[in-house]
Amino acid sequence: MSAPRPDFLAHRSGDAVGVAVRDLTPGPVTGGYLDSDAVEELQLAHEVPLGHKVAIRDIREGDDVIEYGVRTAIASQDIARGDYVHTHNVRSARWLSSVA
Amino acid sequence: MAQQRRLTGYRRPDGSVGTRNHVAILPVDDLSNSAAEGIASLVPGTLALPHAFGRLQFGDDLDLTFRTLIGIGANPNVAAVIVIGIEPNWTDVVADGIAKTGKPVHRIAIEGRGDLRVIESASRYAKKFLQDASEVTREPVDRSDIVLSMKDGESDTTTGLGSCRVTAHLVDRWVDSGGTMIFGETSELTGGEHLIAERCVSEEVRKRFQGFYDDYVEMIEQTGANLLGSQPTQGNIAGGLSTIEEKAMGNIVKTGSVPIMGALAPAEAPSGPGLHFMDTSSAAAECVTLMAAGRGVVNLFPTGQGNVIGNPVQPVVKISANPKTTSAMSDHIDVDCSDVLTQEATVEQAGDALIDLVERTINGRVTASEALNHREFTLTKLYRSA
Repeated sequence: MSAPRPDFLAHRSGDAVGVAVRDLTPGPVTGGYLDSDAVEELQLAHEVPLGHKVAIRDIREGDDVIEYGVRTAIASQDIARGDYVHTHNVRSARWLSSVA
Repeated sequence: MAQQRRLTGYRRPDGSVGTRNHVAILPVDDLSNSAAEGIASLVPGTLALPHAFGRLQFGDDLDLTFRTLIGIGANPNVAAVIVIGIEPNWTDVVADGIAKTGKPVHRIAIEGRGDLRVIESASRYAKKFLQDASEVTREPVDRSDIVLSMKDGESDTTTGLGSCRVTAHLVDRWVDSGGTMIFGETSELTGGEHLIAERCVSEEVRKRFQGFYDDYVEMIEQTGANLLGSQPTQGNIAGGLSTIEEKAMGNIVKTGSVPIMGALAPAEAPSGPGLHFMDTSSAAAECVTLMAAGRGVVNLFPTGQGNVIGNPVQPVVKISANPKTTSAMSDHIDVDCSDVLTQEATVEQAGDALIDLVERTINGRVTASEALNHREFTLTKLYRSA
């Protein structure tokens, strides 16, 4: 818990996305990890409501999106660190018909 | 670690322990709902359990309806049961199944009598059962006597980060104390099903789990449907969940770290202590009803966006870490653990608070869903009736 009152949290070191723990507006934000004391500082590009995701690394279209240390999605377009991540730019890797 | 609270419950003739003391009026089929509700209105304090099915079902679907109705009657939260069916044969199947527990069961069929004679006759039994049940007293029990179930609903990313981690704290401690727990939601393991398979205690359990998982997901996938909005639900997506895999990981987080001792068919009761998987839908009312039939006596229900479900037989405890939900829907939330999300409380602190609330619920505290009269009783249908 080295980032007191973080803006977003990621489950595992190495995850590609974190979850906003409050409503966030574009600009500098600080995040932490549940499994380490590492701190992520990044420029948020979009509004991200509480519970929604922010990219903490660049993800190329077609790449796995890692969260909880496992693949939870595939990027359906290029995503940059600091971007808002949701159904508009990621999709299920398992249920291929389930697309926004 | 919080000091262990003294637990009390109702011990039934088969040795199982309940947290509630209902006299249930159980229709075998939809046609018998009216008579069941008639009895419950004449004898207030009894619990009618109307439902939509029970006619012209066959094969596995019929077996599941029987197993569900028998399991509900056999649930230790039920002291005695009146079973009503349109005809005597299937009424006997359900009544005989419940009677194996040794609890009082009265059965009656409507054909040849009509609703009003049935209501008059069965109401006298209901009155006697209610008076007898009122003298069944709580006695000291242990965690090892208590079967808890769990299901999350209207999940969002705060469940995986908050309420499911808090629930996992309880799961590990309950199982360490010799207790029994049931989780389910078969399709909602997709993407993390290998993590569940790895925790199965034996090859036999792992194979049974994998069979349930493969069958269920094949049924979904062969439709070719776009499930976005169904699984994950519209509420899940509004709460920030983007895919089934992401939703599944939250579901899996709440199961803690203990081994999985059994893989149960829908509505099947665990055969021993520890954590058990049950093959269920993720629809809240269907799932919690199946888990009540599997003898769950309290259900733990992490929610993100605020699912309001209750169950007539097993009380449902709502746990949320979403501060918007715990504020806007506080009427429905039993445990607010939103301070875990902001890292102002640890999972251990919030988990101990959850254990305290669950133990008070076991001892008779009325949950929010009970107080608000949420009694969703929904049978799972496998396919169309003949």
